[in-house]
Amino acid sequence: MTQATETPMVELKGVKKRFGNLEVLKGIDLKVDRGKIISIIGPSGSGKSTLLRSINYLEVIDEGSILLDGAQVNRPDLKGLAFERHINHIRQNMGMVFQHFNLFPHLSTLENVTLAPRKLKGVDARSARELGMDLLERVGLADKASAYPSSLSGGQKQRVAIARALAMRPKVMLFDEATSALDPELVEEVNQVMKRLAEEHMTMLIVTHEMGFARDVSDWAMFMDGGVVVEENTPDRLFTHPDQERTCNFLRKHLASQA
Amino acid sequence: MDISLMIEISPLLVKAAWVTVDISARALFFGFFIAATLVTLRTSRFLPVRWLARAYISVVRGTPYFVQLLLVFYGGPAIGLRLDPFTCGVVVGAFNIGAYMSEAMRGAIESVDSGQNEASRSLGFGRLATLQYIVLPQAAGLMIRSIGVLAIILIKNSSLVSIISVVELTYQAQRLTGSTYKPLEVFSLSALMYIVIIYAVMGIIELLYRRATRYTYL
Amino acid sequence: MEFDFSPVITYFPTLLKGVGATLLIGLVVAIMSIIGGQIVAVISLYTRKAVNWPLRFFIWLFMTTPLLLQLYFLYFGLGQWILIPAIVVGVLGLGFHYMAYNADIFIATIKSVSNGQYEASRSLGFGHYATIFYIVIPQAFYRAVPQLGNNMIIMVKDISVLSAIGIAELVYMSQYAISVTFRPFEFYITIAVVYYLINVLMEAGQSWVERRAAIRK
Repeated sequence: MTQATETPMVELKGVKKRFGNLEVLKGIDLKVDRGKIISIIGPSGSGKSTLLRSINYLEVIDEGSILLDGAQVNRPDLKGLAFERHINHIRQNMGMVFQHFNLFPHLSTLENVTLAPRKLKGVDARSARELGMDLLERVGLADKASAYPSSLSGGQKQRVAIARALAMRPKVMLFDEATSALDPELVEEVNQVMKRLAEEHMTMLIVTHEMGFARDVSDWAMFMDGGVVVEENTPDRLFTHPDQERTCNFLRKHLASQA
Repeated sequence: MDISLMIEISPLLVKAAWVTVDISARALFFGFFIAATLVTLRTSRFLPVRWLARAYISVVRGTPYFVQLLLVFYGGPAIGLRLDPFTCGVVVGAFNIGAYMSEAMRGAIESVDSGQNEASRSLGFGRLATLQYIVLPQAAGLMIRSIGVLAIILIKNSSLVSIISVVELTYQAQRLTGSTYKPLEVFSLSALMYIVIIYAVMGIIELLYRRATRYTYL
Repeated sequence: MEFDFSPVITYFPTLLKGVGATLLIGLVVAIMSIIGGQIVAVISLYTRKAVNWPLRFFIWLFMTTPLLLQLYFLYFGLGQWILIPAIVVGVLGLGFHYMAYNADIFIATIKSVSNGQYEASRSLGFGHYATIFYIVIPQAFYRAVPQLGNNMIIMVKDISVLSAIGIAELVYMSQYAISVTFRPFEFYITIAVVYYLINVLMEAGQSWVERRAAIRK
């Protein structure tokens, strides 16, 4: 366990990101220890999604550094194809779940899950099938293995997307507003899957609007606004007794809108 | 209408129609590779390469196919390019349709939702693998439809090689009119053959389209 | 290989006449095919089958056969019964060809406009014909502008095909010059450049017209 405390699973140091003249991340520091779950909340435009996408390097950061299990994600020293190869390898260790699922519509549910292990790890068809069925079982969709995404509900799609991300046996899972695009009655089934992952000690970073869920599941909570981390604390403390005025306002407004 | 004459000339017209099909099919085949090359060049890291590909596409699309044909056939020898009429028709047809097709391909690729690209990249797939496994299979339907439209344009354009005396359908129609003095019979039969060819192409395209987009209604 | 563009300069006035003819033909055909296409579209949508079926058949026929075949039929075919000057055949042939393409566009835009607007207009008290002429057709026209522009840009390139029936447009004029100077490469390159410039200007014009049409839409 000492090893785990020495190298955090994810570490960000002074990460800055600009879109044109607008600075959306103004120097973010963050540490996620192995097996821990961190929730990031904040108003839209606060930079929380950009932060998550930067970890997966879907956004190219301008300053700072990102480390995954001690390995540097951003590598200014690597150019062109060398960087391509590096980042593809890094990304295989991170699972990303998107707000709009982004399932591959031309592949069946099972194929969605098995494509990456088959093509990237060279897993043979039979083992890939076993792995895929096992994962679909875990998200409760084994009976939909041969269905195509167009025939699934939003909640089912997102569960398949989680299975797809898990298929590469990632070290960390990144959830980018995984339930924001879902009808209210479908949110719970996705939350259940995420809770089970939490119980299995998967390291997770969750960007969410679901305060109740964030409070239930996470070990640490962060409030972001205007490209900075305004406040971070244990979820119990952050959600009930925030220290900062801005956090307080946000939570009050959010609760009012949900009531 | 003189039916017996129509029966008499139909073997000649069928033979000529086959030349039309042959020349168009070859041009489409080579045009496909030219288009794929152009699409690739347009994503090149080097600005001059991208610029050159764009300039080529713009010039081909901005000048008449007929002038391109005349330039290569009659002007080609001045730069050491001597092609027989049939080959000239195939080459000019391919380079012409290739430019249009590259735009169609690019459009189809860009029509695929960017989230697909992100999901694939986030799993660790590279640019090429993403194109191969994720983007192209989804762009295929639209691509097939656009290529179908271009194939029909190519077939209609192939009538222009009659000017450099390739004995294809339009050439034969004109010649038979001169020798039989029965324009209505000759032209309605030739038109019918063009229509048959075009509808056959449309049928093939529709089949391919359904195959490529089967996943949307499975 | 040695290039000599001096004959091109010598024959530049000849080429210019060809350019003039090409532009004039283009203008006449554009007006004819747009107005004609509009009329054909309206007739084929709002008349009885006996009237609109033959019309639709001709639209279909012009769209599924090559322009050159149509020109040859009109010129060499009909020429056996009645003597029509080549220029008339050329303009009518090209005009009918693009009239069919434009009518096809108008039919689609008229249908798309009348889907929502027809009922709204009738509910305001406009009659059937008033709705069609004051509400549907004007809107359909503006909605068709981008595609009409594309068609006209393609049409101008097709004017070069008219040289095949001996109309003295740009290509024909240069073929005359080539027959005297034996410089095909230089002349065809020049024509390509001229055509490219016309095309660039037309595309600029198209985006200007589209911006204006967008305001009216």
